[in-house]
Amino acid sequence: MSEVLLQVINLSKNYKDKNYWFNRKCVAALEPLSFDIMAHKTLAIVGETGSGKSTLAKLLVGAELPTTGHIRLNGQTLAPGNFRQRCQHVRMIFQDSGTTLNPSLTIEQLLDEPLRLNTDLDETERHQLIRETLQKVGLLAEHMSFYPHMFSGGQKQRISLARAIILKPQVIILDEALASLDPSLRSQMINLLLDLQQQMGLAFILISHNLGIVRHFSDDMMVLCKGKVLEFGKTSAILQKPQHKYTKKLIMSQHFQLLHR
Amino acid sequence: MNLIDIRNLSIELQTTTKPILAVDRVNLTMKEGEVRGLVGESGSGKSLLAQAIVGVLDEKWKVDADRFHWRGNDLMRLSAEERKAIISKDVAMIFQEPMACLDPTTTIGEQLEEAVDVEQLSGFFWQRRQQRKLAAINLLHKVGIKQHEVCVKSFPHQLTDALCQRVMIAMALARRPMLLIADEPTAAMESTNQGQIFRLLASLNQLKNMSILLISHDLENVTHWTNTITVMYSGQFVEAGTTEQIFNQPYHPYTRALVDSSPKANRMIPNKSRLMTLPGSIPILQHLPIGCRLGPRCPRAQQKCVHAPKIKNFHGHQVSCHFPLKDSYS
Repeated sequence: MSEVLLQVINLSKNYKDKNYWFNRKCVAALEPLSFDIMAHKTLAIVGETGSGKSTLAKLLVGAELPTTGHIRLNGQTLAPGNFRQRCQHVRMIFQDSGTTLNPSLTIEQLLDEPLRLNTDLDETERHQLIRETLQKVGLLAEHMSFYPHMFSGGQKQRISLARAIILKPQVIILDEALASLDPSLRSQMINLLLDLQQQMGLAFILISHNLGIVRHFSDDMMVLCKGKVLEFGKTSAILQKPQHKYTKKLIMSQHFQLLHR
Repeated sequence: MNLIDIRNLSIELQTTTKPILAVDRVNLTMKEGEVRGLVGESGSGKSLLAQAIVGVLDEKWKVDADRFHWRGNDLMRLSAEERKAIISKDVAMIFQEPMACLDPTTTIGEQLEEAVDVEQLSGFFWQRRQQRKLAAINLLHKVGIKQHEVCVKSFPHQLTDALCQRVMIAMALARRPMLLIADEPTAAMESTNQGQIFRLLASLNQLKNMSILLISHDLENVTHWTNTITVMYSGQFVEAGTTEQIFNQPYHPYTRALVDSSPKANRMIPNKSRLMTLPGSIPILQHLPIGCRLGPRCPRAQQKCVHAPKIKNFHGHQVSCHFPLKDSYS
């Protein structure tokens, strides 16, 4: 268990203002940061908008090129731009599952796409794998011929999850994936994610601003503010004894709601 | 006196084949100065109920009620015009996505001035313009926006979500309503901004004795701010009572599941353990179960549940279930 799965070293991102030729302004979206994640563990990233959490997610998944630093998976450096290697191992689930699924494709076609692009399986094998994956996320094999609009919000989120795990990745990034769900669906989804983590040894990176979920779901926690890492450590330790003023404010703003109850 | 008293309100969607009962006999009573939470998951008809109160539903929807009283007036007996006059004077509503609700092509100042009531202005017609401007700025001050010069001149996209929501509240306050209906005012907002908006609503409630109907899909978010809570599920009334009753001793299995499934409320449960949930998902409108609509998902369902239960009242704690969980708390 002590094996490091994903290692991030000195990762940072600057955005350049392209309007000026001379003395270009640099906006640091993310200051250099490093962390490790083991298999079976969850890292939660907490912060306000503009704190760089989504930038970090984009860098990890390869949608943006980092300014400095590199990412290692199982000791191997993930080259920027090598999507074939990266998208097999690092997958992402977005907040709004309704808009991330192509409405003109059936579920089978949706799930077939990553398999065709990334694996050498033939058609029957792909079909079999899709069937298994759908069952894994709690859907039926009959759902394969359905279109996304025929599903409810919770089921759509399950399909995004199926699309994420179908390539048997090692890291899944949940970018506010639980925020827009109804409470009962959300707890179903949390249960499902925890089960999958047990079975497949996944590592999750959870981006959220609901500290209740973060406390329940994650092992480690990182507090970002304006691209800087304010705190990084065990979730229970940070939530019990926040060191930084900003973290205290964040915890207060959510926990006072339930005080005196 | 009760501000609003609704008994057995049903809302039907008229379709070509057969009408769909979207809201099935819901009760709602509010006293003056009360903050009531209306909680239910998506598709539970809480927004429909709010829209029925304000009277903005179109011809497709048929609203029916045994009693629909607003401060003693029976609204069902009044004509549409009379009803509109009463409601638009006393009730205001704010919506989920403030940015989407404000007009993107005009400045905040102009939109606010539009909302200001003519009756509040006094003086000659050449003074009116100036008075309108002052009234708009006053409204901004009321919702805690101090730099009114900047805000009045800016367009909605230039402001943050929380500021836009404040502007929306300011517009709602323009006619000094007695009841403010807040339909998920903090959806998709950050926790710090959420706190600001809720604090503003709470202060309005205390200073101006304004009643607030706070609609939310998340029980845990509203508990701090409400006196009483009504829970709905799939268009049916589930449970109503004070916040303490609902949160600490829910009598309905559905409310129990809502409270149990919230990791924020139960700090005792161990990290990474499975959360309590109900199996299945919310039924869609075309295929609603008969009787109690929670039936197929309910852990305590029995044969009796195919008939809709009558509402039972235990000291003001109303619950609509054949087998309430009352005995499980000693």
